Amino acid sequence: MSSLVERFLVNAEAAGFVVHRGEAPEIEGAERSTASYGLADTGSVVLAAGPDEPRARHLLPDVHVSLLSEERILPGLAELFAAVGFDLPSALAIVTGPSRSADIEQRLVVGVHGPREVHVVLLP
Amino acid sequence: MADAELLLEEAGYEVGFPPEQVCCGQPAFNAGHRRAARRVARTFTRAFSRDWPIVCPSGSCSTMAAHYLPELLGVEPFEVWELSAFLAQAGATPSVRNDGCTLAYHDSCHMLRELGIADEPRGLLERSGAQLAPLPRPDLCCGFGGTFSIRQPEISVAMADDKLNGVSNADALVTADPGCLMHLRGRAARHGGPRVLHVATALARGVRP
Amino acid sequence: MRMLEGRTNAWAGLEDVEALRERARKIRQRTISDLDRYLAEFTAAVEARGAKVRFARTAEEANAYIVDTCRRAGAELVAKSKSMASEEIRVNEALQAAGIRAVECDLGEYILQLANEHPIHIILPAIEKTAADVAELFSVVEGEPVSPQLEELAAAARRQLRKVFFSADVGLTGANFGVAQTGSICLVTNEGNGGLVTSLPKVHIALLGMERLVPTLDDLAVLLQLLPRSATGQKLTSYTRIISGPRREGESDGPEELHIVILDNGRSNLRGGRYEEMLSCIRCGACLNVCPVYRKAGGGAYGPVYSGPMAAVLVPLLVGLERAPALPHASSLCGACTAACPVKIPLHELLLELRKDLVEERVASARERLGFTLWSLAWSRPFLYRLSTSLARLAAPLAGRLGPGLVWTRGRDLPAFARRRFRDLP
Repeated sequence: MSSLVERFLVNAEAAGFVVHRGEAPEIEGAERSTASYGLADTGSVVLAAGPDEPRARHLLPDVHVSLLSEERILPGLAELFAAVGFDLPSALAIVTGPSRSADIEQRLVVGVHGPREVHVVLLP
Repeated sequence: MADAELLLEEAGYEVGFPPEQVCCGQPAFNAGHRRAARRVARTFTRAFSRDWPIVCPSGSCSTMAAHYLPELLGVEPFEVWELSAFLAQAGATPSVRNDGCTLAYHDSCHMLRELGIADEPRGLLERSGAQLAPLPRPDLCCGFGGTFSIRQPEISVAMADDKLNGVSNADALVTADPGCLMHLRGRAARHGGPRVLHVATALARGVRP
Repeated sequence: MRMLEGRTNAWAGLEDVEALRERARKIRQRTISDLDRYLAEFTAAVEARGAKVRFARTAEEANAYIVDTCRRAGAELVAKSKSMASEEIRVNEALQAAGIRAVECDLGEYILQLANEHPIHIILPAIEKTAADVAELFSVVEGEPVSPQLEELAAAARRQLRKVFFSADVGLTGANFGVAQTGSICLVTNEGNGGLVTSLPKVHIALLGMERLVPTLDDLAVLLQLLPRSATGQKLTSYTRIISGPRREGESDGPEELHIVILDNGRSNLRGGRYEEMLSCIRCGACLNVCPVYRKAGGGAYGPVYSGPMAAVLVPLLVGLERAPALPHASSLCGACTAACPVKIPLHELLLELRKDLVEERVASARERLGFTLWSLAWSRPFLYRLSTSLARLAAPLAGRLGPGLVWTRGRDLPAFARRRFRDLP
């Protein structure tokens, strides 16, 4: 396993993703997206809006699964922007964990507007 | 002041006190009254020559005299040292008067952030025999802030309480700034709290546990 | 307390924070000193992507455009995502006056809206409401009791706000940054309401402070390394969204129209002057997190929109010193804010400068100015100074009952004067 993938794994889990390798989990009601990129430094998945990827797909369901090819993992934001360049989609979402709020007594609440549970499936 | 003089003499220095000195003008400067500040700050330039280093037992006055006064008056900078920094650079070994004592040290804002002096007073206190009990937030402002203490007295006092309440298992709270000292001691005297001492006093006279 | 601990730890994870802060400072300074050029670049790039730009010099102009855009879309309901700028211009009032309902979708803002109050912290608007308070507010909306358990409250908020997202005609958001080169805006959030507000309604209006630009995506990357860490101690928030235009051909959601309103509202006052650095502010909240005065005073104390050290500097500059004379003095000048600012704005020095302006522009009271003048006349004469210090001991009991002395002694004892002055010792 390359160090980039290793770093991604560690940081994605720290960010609150459930990380799978090779096979996507079967979860009822979950929506799946194919990620354009992953960011190792922060454990983020990058979702680009397009005809196959509505903007709200990663927000509406209770559980969301991102499929990410290991070769699409980049170190961080600088590399992402270099890769994307001017070819920006109408909306680029860099997702780093589930939907969070600390607005009630500064206690962490998950899944207010977006998914409560977020999964990443690493594909070779 | 007498304590500061004693410490400097113990470190082998001859100490002079120019009688014409008044004030560095900081209270007015920090309140935005530049003209008033200038009037008073000029007394500094009239009282002090540049032949000897100037030592000051106050973090805030040292900052004013060293960093702001030259620009305010359009004069060359003076060599101004905060007391503990001066003693530390002189390699002073204070007499062991604090054996068996536990002291908590508060970092006054100017000294910490403008002068970058934090280790020197602590080092001197430890060499004087004291054990240092860390404060939960030694860097948190005590709430004096010059005219702030009178413009926002409730907040000022609440900030003092935060500082004083953080002192546990210590015989006294030590500070290197007379402003912090006056404010914290005044609050502790009114509301109950630890003894509050200037670092010069703690070193020169020792703190009884 | 938790916010402060998180933030300090997260900076620790960065390699060479000081170098990063310096890069960030330069990026912001470069942008501000050439703002017209970047605004022009941004506008052209945004329009090339099929979105509209409106430059609003005043709050009234901004509101007029927003209301007009909503009207033309036949909007009855606006879903709002968190925006300090929108609070500044009081857009909700303008919409309400036009008969258009605006619902705050950020959880903290939603709670405050239900309670009819204003946010008091840039990042955590409802920082003072308890779970019980919130449960009560939500129960009213649901029409049945909601228990004050966090999960229940989250579920209730989700239910109530989903309805809003799906039925809103217009989504109104702020923007953390605009990228001049690509004509993009960047939204940094944790909750996800920003994403829904910019996906489901058919019109998206984004309000962007004119100074919130960065030249390129690379510059954005630098600032994104600092903003979330400074605000909440996170490396990145859950959602970092970069929007570059409305919905495109073949896409099944996203707004058909994107409008970017660039807001001046007094920001130009700072350009080219002693306070220009303040325009570098990225509204991260780091200065609030470390300010010992803010900690005690709370947000409402500073005013209705902004709080903490950044407010103490910015608000008098936006609205005029005479309308906010106490703010530059709402500080003990400890300097913690300057040390915490990711773009190295010398906040406490700017406060000192504002205090000077208060005096020189005669906003400070005549009494105060007279007081300092008399003090300085006395203390610039060594004879009078010595006289005053010998009198001090005698006057002490009286001093505690007058003027500043009286204020001091409400909570503290006066200092005890030594029996003999140092200068009098042999």
